[in-house]
Amino acid sequence: MKNRRSLFALPYVVWMALFVVAPVILMVVYAFSTAAGEFTLENFSRMGDYWIVFLRSFELAVVATLVCLLIGYPIAYLLAREGVRFQRIAMVLIMLPMWMNFLLRTYAWMSILENTGLLNRFFAAVGIIDLGNLINGGLNSLCAALNSSVIQWLNDLLGTQWALNTARDTAMTYFQMINTSGAVVLGMVYNYLPFMILPIYSVIVKIDRSLLEAARDLGADSVTAFRRVVLPLSLPGVLSGVTMVFVPSVSTFAISRLLGGSNIMLLGNLIEMQFTGTTYDPWLGSAISLVMMVIVVVCMYVMNRFGEGEEQAVML
Amino acid sequence: MNGKNRFGGRLAMALVFVFLYAPIFVLMVFSFNDSTSRTVWQGFSLHWYQELFQDGIIINSLYTTLLVALLSSLIATVAGTFAAVGFYNMKRRWRTPLMTINNIPMTNADIVTGVSMCLLFVAAFGAWNSFAQQINTASGTSLPTLAMGFGTLLIAHITFNIPYVILSVGPKLRQMDKNLVEAAQDLGCTWMQAFFKVVLPEIKPGVVNGLLIAFTMSVDDFVISYFTAGPATSTLAMTIYGMTKKRISPKINAVSTLLFVTVLLLLVIVNLREAGQERRRKHPGRAASPGSSRRGTVLGAGALAAVILALVLLSRQNSARVLNICGWGENIDPALIEQFQEETGIRVNYQTAESNEAMYSKVLMGGSGYDVIVPSDYMVSQMRQEGLLAELNYDNIPNFQLIGDAYKNLPYDPENRYTVPYTWGTLGIIYNTTMVDEPITSWSALFDPQYAGQVLMINNPRDAIGVALLYLGYSVNTTDEGEIREAYELLRQAKADGVYQSFVMDEVYDKMEAGEAAIAVYYAGDFLAMHENNPDLAYVVPQEGSNWFVDAMCVLKDAPHKEEAELWINFICSTDSCLANMDYIWYASPNARALAEYPAYYKSLYGEEMDPALYEIMAAPAEVLAGCESYDALPAEVGDLYKNLWTELGIG
Amino acid sequence: MAKELIRLVDCCMSYDDTQVLDHINLYINDREFLTLLGPSGCGKTTTLRIIGGFTTPTSGKVLFDGQEISSLPPHLRQVNTVFQRYALFPHLNVFENVAFGLRIPRREEINGKKKKVKLPEEEIRRRVLEMLEVVSLKGFEERHVGELSGGQQQRVAIARALVNRPKVLLLDEPLGALDLRLRKDMQSELKRIQQQMGITFIYVTHDQEEALAMSDTIVVMDQGRIQQIGTPEDVYNEPKNAFVADFIGESNILDGIMHQDYVVEFFNRKFKCLDKGFAPMEPVDVVIRPEDVDIVPVEEGQLRGTVTAVTFKGVHYDTIVDFKGYKWLIQTTDYHPVGREIGIVLNPDDIHIMHKSSYSGMFGDYSSYSEEYDEINDPTYVEDGEEAGYEE
Repeated sequence: MKNRRSLFALPYVVWMALFVVAPVILMVVYAFSTAAGEFTLENFSRMGDYWIVFLRSFELAVVATLVCLLIGYPIAYLLAREGVRFQRIAMVLIMLPMWMNFLLRTYAWMSILENTGLLNRFFAAVGIIDLGNLINGGLNSLCAALNSSVIQWLNDLLGTQWALNTARDTAMTYFQMINTSGAVVLGMVYNYLPFMILPIYSVIVKIDRSLLEAARDLGADSVTAFRRVVLPLSLPGVLSGVTMVFVPSVSTFAISRLLGGSNIMLLGNLIEMQFTGTTYDPWLGSAISLVMMVIVVVCMYVMNRFGEGEEQAVML
Repeated sequence: MNGKNRFGGRLAMALVFVFLYAPIFVLMVFSFNDSTSRTVWQGFSLHWYQELFQDGIIINSLYTTLLVALLSSLIATVAGTFAAVGFYNMKRRWRTPLMTINNIPMTNADIVTGVSMCLLFVAAFGAWNSFAQQINTASGTSLPTLAMGFGTLLIAHITFNIPYVILSVGPKLRQMDKNLVEAAQDLGCTWMQAFFKVVLPEIKPGVVNGLLIAFTMSVDDFVISYFTAGPATSTLAMTIYGMTKKRISPKINAVSTLLFVTVLLLLVIVNLREAGQERRRKHPGRAASPGSSRRGTVLGAGALAAVILALVLLSRQNSARVLNICGWGENIDPALIEQFQEETGIRVNYQTAESNEAMYSKVLMGGSGYDVIVPSDYMVSQMRQEGLLAELNYDNIPNFQLIGDAYKNLPYDPENRYTVPYTWGTLGIIYNTTMVDEPITSWSALFDPQYAGQVLMINNPRDAIGVALLYLGYSVNTTDEGEIREAYELLRQAKADGVYQSFVMDEVYDKMEAGEAAIAVYYAGDFLAMHENNPDLAYVVPQEGSNWFVDAMCVLKDAPHKEEAELWINFICSTDSCLANMDYIWYASPNARALAEYPAYYKSLYGEEMDPALYEIMAAPAEVLAGCESYDALPAEVGDLYKNLWTELGIG
Repeated sequence: MAKELIRLVDCCMSYDDTQVLDHINLYINDREFLTLLGPSGCGKTTTLRIIGGFTTPTSGKVLFDGQEISSLPPHLRQVNTVFQRYALFPHLNVFENVAFGLRIPRREEINGKKKKVKLPEEEIRRRVLEMLEVVSLKGFEERHVGELSGGQQQRVAIARALVNRPKVLLLDEPLGALDLRLRKDMQSELKRIQQQMGITFIYVTHDQEEALAMSDTIVVMDQGRIQQIGTPEDVYNEPKNAFVADFIGESNILDGIMHQDYVVEFFNRKFKCLDKGFAPMEPVDVVIRPEDVDIVPVEEGQLRGTVTAVTFKGVHYDTIVDFKGYKWLIQTTDYHPVGREIGIVLNPDDIHIMHKSSYSGMFGDYSSYSEEYDEINDPTYVEDGEEAGYEE
């Protein structure tokens, strides 16, 4: 009887086989073949050349995830302690931007960060750029003075060739913000911050208040109570937030393209290039996708192992 | 909690909200700007909204976005709910592995999902199409060919939406009292009746929540759509991504504003309704009729339906015949497309590629949807040699005779069986005279640390490595690995020195016009378009010589609409079309009469003589062309070398 | 002579416009088992939370050992709490739950310097195991709290609180979530633990039987006020007003007039009683416990009535008798069928006289007997109010 009702899932199981499993298998096949359809490992061996892209992607994604966590956790925590009405309005406000497409949100930053963008215009108007030039000039003369005195003396003494940089730009007309890795991280944080706040918030808000009171009752001050009760209990939320920020960050190609120009090539850009971009090579692209997928899955698995006990606890 | 703490917390939250909303606010403010600038305020205007509603491409993609979101979330909700019920009744031994597979689209990076589905569609459609072709030629049947498009987009969205629905419905099923169904059956229901009368109401919050999540995810998606929509279909995100690679129009700001305001209104209505319901729950004495919440739902659904209906009317998607073109950005007069559509009743999907190499990728990865493509000479050769192009029936293209002889039987198509030239021109340096100290005459400017951060390098391997080869005095068609590597080294060093602000294609328009950069490598015709908006810009074909190129219209071998394609090519070749197009895109036409008559046409249109210097930039005279070389197709191994070096340059 | 440990002085509490506590004055002695008893929303949990430090009274003072502690945070009070639904930490096992308080470094003054002192691991282990033994949970250290039954969770909560050697243990309806049988067991268990540890228990409940069975002192509360403080016997036998009389045990409450000392009139008849000190002809409430009434043949009775309903209760019959339209509950061991006319006799010590209060006329009539009876017996029945938290 029970088994027959499980047949409700049958259409979806077929669907999954066609559109979830088959594509992944096809990708694996592509990763191990040449353009002529022969088996090869070359796609993977060639990937060694791209280790720097892997490194950069993971580095930027980790930074973005950490920033999201550092901003998102306190916000989620503070929010969970507000009144019900406040919480509901805040939640709507956090979700609202997600209803605009994320590309629009990224695009919004372009006109702010450009060399002739709003932020630079603002900086120029209030004299911050002049101030920067002034500081750079001051630093230059200070370094020059040091170079000709203390550093000179040290070099003479030690036989070294040290010199301080005296060529800081003193004629800046703008700060370089767009097309930097900072801009890319900003884009990631901006787009994915709600994905960090929401899961953490929903876990914290469910923590029974009496647990906190119990901890206080047992002698914990508010910091200890937070550290020993709220923090471990909110870990599942943190884990799912980290996943939800890290995975799209490490694989993005639109954010790096729009805010990083073509200077910041990430894994996403590398893959996109192989499929619809300037260097057609879906075999290599599949191999890179596969490796990325495996690394991400391993990371998530390790992290979830680490947080397993807590997960179980919250199901309770 | 003491008051100070609470104030600090509120302040922190306020700052985060400012961070979240400031960019959106900026976006919205500049949608009312009376200028193309997105950073300088020049007065209030609704100009961009007016333009927005006349822009068929944006309206069309908005319609596609909403329709896909609506359909995919509805289908995913029904399918996902049934699947969740199935999983719930399944033995653990089966459920666990299936749930793991179910989670794949959620845990995988979007790009992996998108790319793998793209591979599947390309492979499956490719196999089917060649099979269908064989059968058709063998037995004279007309099995349809398949191409990526709305259907594949919908499949992809359903696939990534279902897991969210299951995730949302599953827990509700588990929370449900197991005796409920038995109680209903005990009272005489069949299992199916019990499901609809008891189970469904019980899990309704989960189902509704799943629907909402699915809709949100679908609207927010870009990456998966990008790889699965095929050539003829475009979601709003894809259109915007395409636009950000070209001249950016504040129409994007306008569409953002409309979207934001719509969503805001919807949410306010929903929340007011919920608050109202809550109040009624608390004070049941004042209970309103139970119909009021249903009325709200009906109202919401009606509003959405009305929006979609309006978009359908605006997007005028009624014609049955279509034509899918892949060309360059800012490389066609939209009025010509309009005119063609009106004259023939064929709806034109005009998609753009960034570069020849990208066009090649798109053709191969596009799931055989394009009809007409407009690659440059060397790419025509490559595609012709790889058998991607169809021979044209020149009887259907009588206007071909208007093409100047100098543009027929060129090396890329020696017998002229596959192509009709579209435009020609030169590659050169565009620079802002107010941002450099002396006129630029040599390619050396592109490798000079003096211009650190001021140079926009062209973002395709053939042109970029080509200009380095030219600077070094080598042929652009060299197959000598040493020479190519030397050219690459030059580029790599300049990139390491920070000479290049960015690698760009059509983004060059906005950046050069706004003075974001001083120097760029780009095409003559595009310079003229930029010069219209910023007269400080100058163009030079450097002394070392340059590339002379022809872009030619071709029809793909597996094109679904060959007849329409030839109609289009013929239409574009007419002298009237060529004149109008030249006036819009500033690229020289191979239609000899049109090219010669253009200055007169210009005078009749604008009432003043055309600057002969500008005309010479557009239609380079023989002495300039003498110093130029056209690209030949490169042997496969050199092609691979270019690809590898290019990727290496990108990652460095 | 018992030593006073905690004193509440004029404590008031209000949320928004609702006054939850109205001038509470109360003292609690060392080693006392004191019960705060009252219906939902009476303010008993709020009183407990004020003692625990989770709420600060709007006005009034809390003294502990003579020192004011009104604004001292909970972690600095020598008081521990067993929460309504235990509040066990779901991420820790039984051992770590109990050890939680011990692992927190204490600030102690050593030679005039403030230092953080951590208990050595061995000491923690010893004390936790010892405490688990006290609550009969030896061998459960490694269990996850989610795997325990309600009664076991209860014991963990008690052990977790007691391991810190508090001077006072606060228990907030700790047995509310247990089934009847387990509740009875835990009652005696709690009493045993209290005696074994020799500390003060402050116990909150709405169950009068529980209160009578366990307490040294019962504080009956309603509507934010203390209605009566006394030993279980006092409260049962000498209720101060109609509310107390009705809330604790069953009572028939009648209007009467005190003619003079030891003479009360009701049903137009004078009865002898043991009460005095009322004004002459003062209107009073008369309480008659159902088990005190003797049924006699009609002709021998001081009053006569008709049986209208009988319910068998095991030890006795609940018999409803109609006296001139006023219905009494009488508990007898003899069976009297419906419709029979009977007489009753009241001895002077069966009659308790109370001053009139705001509760007069609200309780003690069994006309709608069955409804009220159900209400009393339904442990899940909760009125809306501040303390409605345990219903889930």
